[in-house]
Amino acid sequence: MKTLLAWLLWLWVAVVLWAAFFYAPLAAGFIGQSSRILFFHVPLSWTAFVAFIGAAVWSGLYLVRRQPDDDRAAAVAVELGFVFCVLATVTGALWARIMWGAYWNWDPRQISIILVLIFYGAYLALRGAIEDDEKRARLAAAYALIGIVVTPFFFFIVPRITFSLHPDSVINSRGKIEMESRMVQVLLASFVGDAALFFWMHNLRRRILALRDRRAEGESAVESKSWS
Amino acid sequence: MELGGLGWILIVNLVIWTGLFLYLLRLGKSLRDLERKS
Repeated sequence: MKTLLAWLLWLWVAVVLWAAFFYAPLAAGFIGQSSRILFFHVPLSWTAFVAFIGAAVWSGLYLVRRQPDDDRAAAVAVELGFVFCVLATVTGALWARIMWGAYWNWDPRQISIILVLIFYGAYLALRGAIEDDEKRARLAAAYALIGIVVTPFFFFIVPRITFSLHPDSVINSRGKIEMESRMVQVLLASFVGDAALFFWMHNLRRRILALRDRRAEGESAVESKSWS
Repeated sequence: MELGGLGWILIVNLVIWTGLFLYLLRLGKSLRDLERKS
């Protein structure tokens, strides 16, 4: 059943890829085929957002329930969210090179995504700096919980309160989606594919960490037995 | 098909996606085996 679902995801993403290049029309006002980056850049960014908010929720759950699995889930969500966020930054920079003539322009959107990356890079550094499992989980959870404010602020509020050369958000400042319907279809389908891929990878990585922790517990139990 | 055209970009994307997909599928299988053993 799980394998069938995985193959359905393969098919879904393959169709999205085809649709991004051959079904969706080009957007007006963009150079050449550059508007097609939208179908990759925006879903990657939305998935990073989902991952970071997920990390905040799992961190909150950890602080309430103190279950190691919630800590692992939060850490994995940040790791994967970071990767999705880097990919969104790279695809955005490629588009900026075509439209604005340079990969990096210090546009408020670019600055805000870099600040998000620094925020979550610090989370990963924090985890790497503390050896004690319980202390690491507690401090990291408190830090990631702040992300529930930081992430929406940089993803959705900064772009709406600053002047930017970046194209309007999908839901624009008038609260409307002013995009050709086929483009909206491909964009949403691409987001569904990215989100499914995120949850699949999240599940695998979380299970790897659980196995590693179980093995480490087993080894320390054997060690303490041999000492006594 | 024009080299570097949309068709080629689609093929490269499909190859990368299929590679990642097969890797994840294999990883899932290895994990299930390890979980069964432990």
